[in-house]
Parts: sequence; C-alpha cells; structure tokens
Amino acid sequence: MSVRTEPAIKIAPKSIRRSWILGGLLIIWVAVAQILQGKATLELAVPDNSKFTAWAGEVADSIRDNRNDGLAFKYFFNPIREFIDGFVNIIREFIAIPNGSSSIPVLGWLGVISLIGFVVFAVSNVRMAFAAMALTFACGALGLWTDSMDTLAMTFAAVILSLAIGIPVGIWAGLSDRVLKVVTPILDLAQILPTLVYLAPLALVFLIGPASATIATMVYSIPIAVRLTAFGIRGVPTSPVEAGTSMGTTKRQLLRKVQLPMSSRTIIMGINQTVMAALSFVVIAALIGAPGLGKPVIDALIIRNVGDGFVAGIAVVLIAIMLDRSTSAAITKKETFVPPSEADRKRRKLALIIAGITAIVGIVLSRQMVWAAFFPKQIDISSQVANVSDFAVTWVTENLELLTAGLSKAVTVGVLNPLESILANSPWYLTITMITLISLILGGVRSAIVSATLLIAVVATGLWYDTMITFTQTIVATMLTMIVGVIVGVWIGRSVRAERALRPILDAGQTLPAFVYLIPMLGFFGPSRFTAIATGIVYSIPIVVKIVGQGIREVPVNMVEAATSTGSTKWQLITKVQLPAAKKSLLLATNQGLIFVLAVVVIGGFVGGGGLGYLVLLGSSKPELQGKGLVAGFCILLLGVMIDRIAQYMVARNSAPKH
Amino acid sequence: MSNNSSAISVNNLWQVFGPNPEKIVDSPDAALPRAELREKTGNTAAVRDVSFDVAPGEVFVVMGLSGSGKSTLVRCLTRLIEPTSGSVVLDGEDIMKANDARLRELRRTKFSMVFQNFGLLPHRKVIDNIAFALEVNGVSKEKRHARANEVIELVGLQGFAYAYPEQLSGGMQQRVGLARALAVDPEVMFLDEPFSALDPLIRRDMQTEVIRLHEELGKTMVFITHDLSEALKLGDRIAIMRDGAVVQMGTAEELIANPADAYVEDFTRDVPKSHVLTVRTIARPLADSETATGRTIPADTVIRDATAAVLDANGPVGVVEGGNIIGYIKSRDILQVVGGGTHA
Ligand SMILES: Nc1ncnc2c1ncn2[C@@H]1O[C@H](COP(=O)(O)OP(=O)(O)OP(=O)(O)O)[C@@H](O)[C@H]1O
Ligand SMILES: [Mg+2]
Repeated sequence: MSVRTEPAIKIAPKSIRRSWILGGLLIIWVAVAQILQGKATLELAVPDNSKFTAWAGEVADSIRDNRNDGLAFKYFFNPIREFIDGFVNIIREFIAIPNGSSSIPVLGWLGVISLIGFVVFAVSNVRMAFAAMALTFACGALGLWTDSMDTLAMTFAAVILSLAIGIPVGIWAGLSDRVLKVVTPILDLAQILPTLVYLAPLALVFLIGPASATIATMVYSIPIAVRLTAFGIRGVPTSPVEAGTSMGTTKRQLLRKVQLPMSSRTIIMGINQTVMAALSFVVIAALIGAPGLGKPVIDALIIRNVGDGFVAGIAVVLIAIMLDRSTSAAITKKETFVPPSEADRKRRKLALIIAGITAIVGIVLSRQMVWAAFFPKQIDISSQVANVSDFAVTWVTENLELLTAGLSKAVTVGVLNPLESILANSPWYLTITMITLISLILGGVRSAIVSATLLIAVVATGLWYDTMITFTQTIVATMLTMIVGVIVGVWIGRSVRAERALRPILDAGQTLPAFVYLIPMLGFFGPSRFTAIATGIVYSIPIVVKIVGQGIREVPVNMVEAATSTGSTKWQLITKVQLPAAKKSLLLATNQGLIFVLAVVVIGGFVGGGGLGYLVLLGSSKPELQGKGLVAGFCILLLGVMIDRIAQYMVARNSAPKH
Repeated sequence: MSNNSSAISVNNLWQVFGPNPEKIVDSPDAALPRAELREKTGNTAAVRDVSFDVAPGEVFVVMGLSGSGKSTLVRCLTRLIEPTSGSVVLDGEDIMKANDARLRELRRTKFSMVFQNFGLLPHRKVIDNIAFALEVNGVSKEKRHARANEVIELVGLQGFAYAYPEQLSGGMQQRVGLARALAVDPEVMFLDEPFSALDPLIRRDMQTEVIRLHEELGKTMVFITHDLSEALKLGDRIAIMRDGAVVQMGTAEELIANPADAYVEDFTRDVPKSHVLTVRTIARPLADSETATGRTIPADTVIRDATAAVLDANGPVGVVEGGNIIGYIKSRDILQVVGGGTHA
C-alpha cells in the first residue's frame, strides 16, 4: 500500500488545483453567458440554408446529375450497386418477395419456418430450433410476415457480404502487424461514427434502395467482423503456433490447421456480433430504402402512432432474439475441442436426417399449397397488440404522470434548459473558448487544439446552433447515464449475485437496435427533447454498467482488504478505494456512453429532439434541404470525433503515471 | 572449432532483440551487463557469441537461470527465431543459408522439437497430433497413422490414440509431445525444458523414458533444463549459460571438479559430489608413509560406487587408467568427498 499512497499525495495538490480552476471557469462561463444571452448564437431557421449548406446541396445535385455518365459512376459505383442489388434480390426472392413470374417467394411461410428450424437445429439444438420457429411464426402473427422476411433477407445479405470481406481482412490483420496498424484507426473511426452520418452520402452515390442500405450496413458491420477475427487469430496461444512452425508447416498450413481451428470460437462470436450489428442497422437503413420492418417503425415514429410502432418494434425484437440466441448457441456448443462420442454422433446424425426430411416436406408443401405459401390472414394479433400497448402507455402516462411527465419536466427545466442556454443560446465564441479551455485542463494541449479546430469547423458550416442543441442533449443524457450506470455498475461489481441476475438483461439490452427503444419512450414522454435523451440513456446504460462493473471487479483484492482492515465503512470503501482505483474504467465508460448516446440522441431528432438529427431526416425528404442534411451528418461526425478525442486524451493522461 | 563429424556445430551465434540488433554484435557494448545494455541501447542480447559442437548421438544439455537465453538459443538453432548473426551447421549443412522451402523440409524430416508447455493442438486427436509433421509433408493418412501408432507404442501411450489432449494428464500430454518429435525419425531432437511443467514423480518417469529412448534410438539431443540433477542424469556434456553467454562447457565431472566461477559453482553446490566425480579426480601420488595394497579400481568409477571397495581395502587402492596406475586413494579421501569437506 505504501507504494501506492506516495504518488497519490504528490498528485493531490495538483488535482485539487485543477478542480478549483475548473470550478472558477464554469462560474465565469455561466455568468458571462447570462449577460450575453441570445447574442451571436448563429441560429439558422429550419427552412433556411447557410452558404455552406447551399453549396453542399449544389454539390449533391451535380453528383446526382453525373450519375449516369460520370466515369466513376459508370465503371465503379453503378456496377457495385447493380451487383449488390442483384445479390440482395436473389435472397429476397428466396423468402420475401415474389420470385420471377410466380406470386410467392421460392419458399412460402411454412418452408421458411421449416428451413429456419433445420438450420438452427444443425448449428445448435432442438430447443433453440423450436424457439426460433416459434419466434419467426410470431412475426407472421403480428401481421408482418413479408416485412420480417425482408428484414431477415437484408440482414442475411449484408452479413454474407460483410463476412466475405471482414473475415479475410481480419485474418490478414491477425497475421500481420503492419496490416493491423493500417486497419486499426479505420476500425476505431467506424466505431465512433454515429450511424446516421453515412446514410445520406451513400444514398447520394448508390441511390435510395437496397444497395445503399446494404452498403451502409456493411460499413457498420465489417469492422466488427474484422476486429473479432483478428483478435481471435492473435489470441491463439503461441506454443501450438510455434510447435506447428517447428514441424515445417507452410504459412497456409499453419493458418488452416492450427490458427483457424483454434480461433474458431472467437470468430463465431464475431459472426454473432456481425449479425446483430447488421440487423440493427438494416432497421435504421429503412431511411434510405431498406425494405423490411424499419419502414413501419419509422412511419409509426413520424406520425407518432405508438401502437403500430410497438407491433413493428416487437417483430424486430423477436428477430433479434432469434438471431442472437441461435448464433450464440453455436458458440457455447464449441466450448471443448472434444467432439461427442460415437453413439451421440450417430444419434445426432439420425435426428438431423429426420429434421432434414421434415424441413423438405415443409418446403415442398409451401410451394404447392396455398395455406402453406401465404401466411394465414386469420392469424393476426397485430391490432390486439397495438391496443394493449396503447392501453399500457396511456395507463402509465395517466397514472404515473408524476413519473413520466414529472421526470421529463424535471430534467428539461432543471438541467436541459440551463445547459442549453449556456452552450447554444450564448455567443458562439464564448462557447468555443470555454470548451477549449476545459479540454485543455482535462485532456491537455493536444485535446484543446483538436476541440478548437473541430468547433470552428462547425461554425464554418453554419450549423453551429443545431450542433450545440445536439451536444447539450448528449451531455445531459450522458450525465444521467453515468449516474445510473455507476450506481448499478458498482452494485454488480461488488455482488456476484447482482451481476448474475442483471447480466442477461444487459446482454439483451445491448443486442436490440436503438430504434426500438424510441417507441416506448415516445409513448411515455411524447414528442420532446427528453424523449431523445431518455432513449439515449436506456440504450447506453448496459455498456456503461458493464464497463464500470468490470472495473470495480478488477480492483486488486489486497487494496480492498487493506482498506477493510483499517476499518473503512462500505461507503468509504466504495468512494475512497474502489471508484478511484477504477478511474480508468470510469473514463472509458464515459467515453463509450457519450458515443452511444450521441448515436441515439441524433435519431431522437425524429421524435421532437430537434438538432442535427432532425436536419438529417429533413434533408432526406426535402430536396431543397438535402445539402443541409448532409452537412448536419458531417457535424455529427465532428461532434463525435471531438468527444472521443477529449475522452481518449483524458484516459491517456490519467493512466500514464501508473506505468 | 567447427568439426566435420559433428551433428551440430554452432559458431559465434548472436541473438539480439531490439531496435538495432546488428549494431550490437561484436561491439564494445555487447560486453555490458544486460540491464545496462538495454538502458543504453534499448536492445537485449539474449544469446551472445555462443559456439559449441555436438557429436552424433550425444545428449548435450544447456543449463542456466531463467532468462539466461536457453530458449532463445534453441529456437535459433532451428531458426524459429532468426539469429542476428553466426552460423549453425547441422549434419554438414549450413542452415543459415537454407531458403524457406529447404528450412521447412529440414524441419519436417531432420529435426524436431519438444516444448515446455507441450504445444499440442487441442482440436486434434493424439494420433493426428503425432502425425502432424508427416501430414504437412504430404504423407498419406494410412502411412502416417501407421507410423504414429509405432511411436505411440514407443512412448507407452497405447490406447490413447483417439483421445484428445485435454483428456490426458500433463505427463501423458508430454509423452504425446515426445512421440510427435519422434514420429519423423529426426536426426536431432531439441527439447526445451520438456519436463519443467510436470510434478517431480512424473518428471522422474519421463527422464527415465528419455534415457531409454536415447539408448534405443541413439538420437542426438539438445536438452534444455534448469535442473542440475536432470542435466546430470541425461547429459553427456553440459553448457552453462548466463546472460546469453556460455560461461562453462564440459562433462558434469569437469564442471563440478573445476567450476569456472561462482555462478557455475552455485549451480553445482547442491549436487552430492560422490555421485558425479570419478575416482580419477581424487587420485594422488602415494605418500612416503603409505604402502599400496595391491588392489586396483578403474579410473572412471564414480566415487560412490568405489566406496565399498576402498573402505574394504584397508589401505591405498590403485586407480587404473589405460593399464597404468595414475594414482592412489584411501578411505579418508573418499570420506572427505562424501562428507562434503574440501573440493577435490
Ligand atoms: N521476442 C523477444 N523480444 C525481446 N526480448 C526477448 C524476446 N524473447 C526473449 N527475450 C529476452 O531474452 C532473454 C532470454 O530469454 P529466454 O526465454 O531465452 O530465457 P530462458 O533461459 O529460456 O528462460 P526460462 O528458463 O525462463 O525459460 C530474456 O531476457 C528475455 O526477456
Ligand atoms: Mg525458456
């Protein structure tokens, strides 16, 4: 312990000084902002364009005009688009849309369910197979069979293409340090890129439709496949690799016979995460023409029809559960390298044959019989589900008004408005100066330079005011997320039982597409800025809780024991030992929280959040505002990079002296 | 130093890790202690200027404390790590000059390795682990399995051919490691602390096993260990390494009888000398007051084994080498060694 306390004493005066300066700075900021309230806010009315956004609109137009004759289009973008459109359509015609001259897809609903059952049985077990079939059937019962199949087909197409690129690149990055060095910054950037940012630019190049949606989904999910594959290859213990080399393997033999089989678990995990990422993106990609469940979700959000939104949202959740459970069951099955015994294998082979025959019967029926081809209209519980959710939401908002309206009002009046008046409604130069000074104190010179540069770039775009609105919401949502996340994180970090109870909920929370959370929040809080904030909080809490819990759990036992032996209370133990020791995790959690929140708050623009997300949405529907939408996406990117950089520099600064 | 009839001939081998390894070789800095060298240049000299020859059929043991460069040395010999400079001649062929294809061929047919942490492939059955080198060399399944079954028998793993490594105990896993190294019928085997991870009883079994295999098959072996009793049991000659350099090389007896410095002496301190030294090392001229008993004993008898005969003789016993008496010993000389008094 004595080794640890020494630097702490040395650092103490410095950090006290730092927080005094910070405090003083904040007071000055608040005071000056009060005096100069409403001046030089650079607010741009919604229907207006700035010089820059108008120019961006012209550029977009010229790109559009160039689409048929431009060389880049003719020989590069258009062929890619056609290839992907073709590929997606083959899969869609298989399960979702009419195939050629026939009025049904290759497989009718019974065929699809039989095939899903068989595939899930083959990769995991009977229970999962039946669960997957039931979940798929339920999507049909919600009256969304075709949309669900479209979502499935889109996800499947994007996953296949993502893996076809991601796994080879991941293997390469796993084998070569140089390749890893090249791809890492790209992967990092992709991870902090809010999803909404690249939809519009892609649609501009690849048109609105399945191709754009698929490419956007790939941009989102390829990094995940690359990262986990490289991680898996690098995680293979050195000794078998060395042993293999010592026996004279070629590089290819080593890869095929040693490295790939030994990293298969991690790679399958990567496939699972790629699938989940693709699904959540396919839903959002409805904004640029992805067919499927995203469309009813967005429609419901825009016309604020909570009941219908719920129905579509539930279908998304069902598909998410089905895909997640069946791909992760494949992971747990591979825990040991020892295959099952001969007898077990025979039994399984028999079961597979029976399942296969059943599936074939189902498929044939679905091509021959009307009842097995079209999902029966009689089975439709969508209106009941919509009514029940409407009723539930009404009940909650009426009877728990204190909780919903009260919470919303408290946060809006108590935190959001004051912060907005400081960040957005005071002169832009004041805000930039203050943010730069704060990041100088928190993250050092480099982070100050980065912040100033990015903020001035935002001013130059003309969307300063909207960016600050989004920034405000992001900060408020992150603060609330951190409060809840740290409390719950400390709890699961200290109690194994809590961790075990909450883990499934956290895992589930992480796999659901962000969009889905908007629906109930819209129901509870109506169209407002708080809805965006609440969705951001709900979406990012799982990741924050997990990181904090992990950090608390990793605090060395001897530190905790030493503190306990000196008679610390539980509170002292948490605040004086565990939280400070887990500082790095807290910073990391804040960083992740901010990035997650930003991605969702932006989407919250659709339901009254305003700010940049709203502009992106408007840009995609109003041609005269398309430039503004594109630039808004760019501002989201700038904001994301700034937040990430400050946080990274803070982490680097705070972990440096330890080593 | 190089010798045409050697199985392995290593000359001026260097392995430096760090930003500019070539610059360190033979530079004045190379003589610096390791920590200082790293401080000054950022490089670690893991192996410095090592030379030795191993005769065909010999078991050559390399010893040294942890971090002294043993593993690095043995990996350089098969170019699992590319040496910074120096030459390694195996069976008359300079392997530093071998291209990738030739190196692979050598690894598949001429030499093999056994690793401290086994390095088995967990996703393959015992038999397929053992047949791996043959498999990558394109030997048909039937042939390689036949060969694998032979070595399985040789190392006493009958009945486990179709088990998976994780189903075996540590000792059995290392038998798989041994069998795998034997499967290609190599000329030279490199064993890097093969038994360090095993508990003492199993370790003794495995040592006996290796001695038996060596007697049966007569392979040349380079055996790394940090356990002196293991070195004494197995090794014909022992090289002791410190900070990457060989500080002394010789038979166990030479090392114990004449340790080059305190480091070597430290290594040999706990060995019961009577078990290692031969009577030659304590033979002395007859003193004036003594008269020979007429009994004799061969010079290469270990002291322990000579004890009974010498005590029985009741007077100086002649030590015979090549038909001549080279000196005499008496019970007092033996008791001095056994009692651990003076060094011979
Ligand atoms: N790849 C590497 N890069 C840098 N330094 C290395 C590398 N491999 C080994 N070293 C250094 O070389 C030195 C010798 O290591 P080596 O593993 O050969 O020792 P060893 O004698 O086998 O030790 P042990 O008994 O612990 O196995 C050590 O100081 C080690 O830190
Ligand atoms: Mg070693």
